[in-house]
Amino acid sequence: MDQATPLIEARAVSKAFFGNPVLKGVGIALRPGRVHALLGENGAGKSTLINLLSGALQPDDGEILIDGKPVARLTPASARAAGIAVVQQELSLAAELSIAENIGLGAAPRRFGMIDYGALSRRAAEICGLVGITEPLDLPVGELSLGRRQMVEIAKALFRQPRILILDEPTSSLSAHEVAILSGLVRTLAARGIAILYISHRLNEVQSLCSHVTVLKDGVVTADQSLAEVDAEGLVRLMVGRDPGEVFPPRGTPSGGEELIDIEGFSAGMVHDVSLRARAGEIVGIGGLVGQGQEDFMLGLYGAIDASARRAMIGGRPGPFAHVRAANAAGLAYVPADRKKEGLVLPHSIASNLLLPSLGTLMKHGMRDRAAEAGLVARLAERLTIKGDTSRAVQALSGGNQQKVALAKWLPLVPRVLLLNDPTRGVDVGTKREIYHMLRSFADEGKLILLISSDTPELVHLCDRVVVFREGAVAAELPREAISEEAIVGAAMGLGAKDRAA
Amino acid sequence: MSMAEGMGSLYFAIQRRRNRGLVGLYLVVGAFLVVYAFMFPGLLTIGGFSKFSQNWFPLALVTMAQALLMLNGGISLAIGPLVSLGAVVAALTMEGPAGVLGGLVAVVIVGLGIGAITGAIVAYMRLPAIIVTLAGSFIITGIALILLPRPGGFVPDWLSQLLAGHTPVAFGILILVVIGWKLFLATPLGTGIYAVGDNPVGAFRSGVPVERVRIVSFALSGLLAALAGLFVAAQTGSGDPVIGNPFTLNSIAGAVLGGVGFLGGKGAMRGAICGSLLLSVMINVMFFIGFPPVAQYVAQGVIIVGAVAIPEFARRWRKA
Repeated sequence: MDQATPLIEARAVSKAFFGNPVLKGVGIALRPGRVHALLGENGAGKSTLINLLSGALQPDDGEILIDGKPVARLTPASARAAGIAVVQQELSLAAELSIAENIGLGAAPRRFGMIDYGALSRRAAEICGLVGITEPLDLPVGELSLGRRQMVEIAKALFRQPRILILDEPTSSLSAHEVAILSGLVRTLAARGIAILYISHRLNEVQSLCSHVTVLKDGVVTADQSLAEVDAEGLVRLMVGRDPGEVFPPRGTPSGGEELIDIEGFSAGMVHDVSLRARAGEIVGIGGLVGQGQEDFMLGLYGAIDASARRAMIGGRPGPFAHVRAANAAGLAYVPADRKKEGLVLPHSIASNLLLPSLGTLMKHGMRDRAAEAGLVARLAERLTIKGDTSRAVQALSGGNQQKVALAKWLPLVPRVLLLNDPTRGVDVGTKREIYHMLRSFADEGKLILLISSDTPELVHLCDRVVVFREGAVAAELPREAISEEAIVGAAMGLGAKDRAA
Repeated sequence: MSMAEGMGSLYFAIQRRRNRGLVGLYLVVGAFLVVYAFMFPGLLTIGGFSKFSQNWFPLALVTMAQALLMLNGGISLAIGPLVSLGAVVAALTMEGPAGVLGGLVAVVIVGLGIGAITGAIVAYMRLPAIIVTLAGSFIITGIALILLPRPGGFVPDWLSQLLAGHTPVAFGILILVVIGWKLFLATPLGTGIYAVGDNPVGAFRSGVPVERVRIVSFALSGLLAALAGLFVAAQTGSGDPVIGNPFTLNSIAGAVLGGVGFLGGKGAMRGAICGSLLLSVMINVMFFIGFPPVAQYVAQGVIIVGAVAIPEFARRWRKA
């Protein structure tokens, strides 16, 4: 292969944490002008590899070469000096600082030792134009939505004029429009000769953008090849060693279960005038671009924000509920999107997280009943295939397994309606599959599942019905026969909304 | 002004936005000042204004010292003891051969040095600032008491007259301090204070020298507190090893009144300065109304809780 010298290359690097090997002799080479995909389940070692390439961690073994020359010890500073920029999943922005100050943070142009706001303004404006940030540059980042912050984060990376750009799940909180801008940008940058490493759980994105792929599985490279030679099923197999046809469970015939949600003219937060009927045994998907009121709708149903309705029967009780407790009493349970902040107590053990909602019901004589608790934890762990010791802290688990715990803890309360807010965001394919099967089995047991999802294939293949939100209202309600990626995305973007409106 | 050069309209746009959130505070401070001027018309004379600004000055300095750390995600319980130590060092050195200039240099070195050491412990040993400065407050108080077991020392009369006489020199110095702060904030290190306070990991990854920002913040904070001590010594004409104690909590009160958040990265120095002004005017007004001193404490506490609660409720109300 007579390609140009890789801008950065890792050769046989290994890394272990507390004696736990995470990377075992991994190699990767980023070449100028190539968009290189890095795939792997959560826990496969992707983040560790990024940290090695960006100098945040040092390899235990193996070497890193920049422009073909071995680097003795890559630090964040020397990585930056070498032109490496990383857009991390966790944002690195300061809420109180303006968009421009954030973009220039740590690399701002100076004059007489002070930030040259004139030059900063010019250069930041140029990059914002490229990235599609139209908000005023002096706006504090704290006032932006998550998706817009992600775009600022990308602008911040570009501000440093990198030769090597690493994008770690850049699209997880972006709207379809923003994803399109980012895709165009990535192509432009690659055409300029920048080496790009693109990490994503969205295979269609990877296939349309990237030309080369490295697949990691359990800390080992299972593929390092051109993407043209492998299809989506093949990629999934390389990641999990499992057939992707099994990812989504088969749908049963819809049973005419009890009507658990019947609302008309429902308004909450930015949601207005929504009507919906849903029965036990259904999985109802809620789609749309990010931030079109899906979350407000769910929180309104759950009594977590103020809601009003012309008519509302939820879980067989008149609503809307004024309190979360009333919603719980009606058999509703809500699993938030941000499992780290809202769903789990990270430093506590798996067991105590699983027990938290049921502590009140497991009491004996006003004291905790250890035996009953242990039995419950064992049952839940088995049902959710949570392996290993349940006395470990939840934060030690991978994202997917954390999500399982966040979901499982509600089961002992026997909820009839599960409200799930994007439960598979940032979750690897293998765990996604487990979650999908679990959700289907809940539905078969006669629960109603409402599922907000930012992952369109999930809406297409898992749900019995999909409701698409746009600007706080239902843009389309798609029955099973009509569900397709085109229909969902089209409705979300406001195309032919009239024809599709149910 | 050289400061305005090299800063485009972006700089001023950012400043305007920072002001927007503080309009309510400005109005409240303005209202209190009007009430106070109405009750005490002497405020509008040079002498009255000088006295008023001299009462406010040390509180303004320590509030800045505290706000600097709070913006950076820290806090200091050693502000008061540092004020005392500053006063003791000033009074002891100025009566000796070093003179006023030597005393000033000594106070600056003590403030910067103790601040930097504290900052280094917090930054490099990754210990919580509240614990380190709690320990520091005992140590610093002890040192002040060893140096000067009972009030004493000497500050030359001309210095007392200059700083705490019938001219608003203190107010002028405060303006210089604020300009210095603005210049510092426009440096990459100054902007780093916000970034480190809000998102230390992100700041680190962006290339902000997180440790250096922490240490510089603590050093500057120490400097401001020690200088407040020097001023207090000039006001009283001597050094007192425990005179600074009330400043610890008052500095926090001023910063909180000014909308500076406890978790770092939230708020602005101008808010903190206004907060200290509000606290100072409030105390004066209550004194004039004839509140007994004990009731003043209660009222002060209630007002501080209210100042934090009202914007929070307003936010929720707007959201609903």
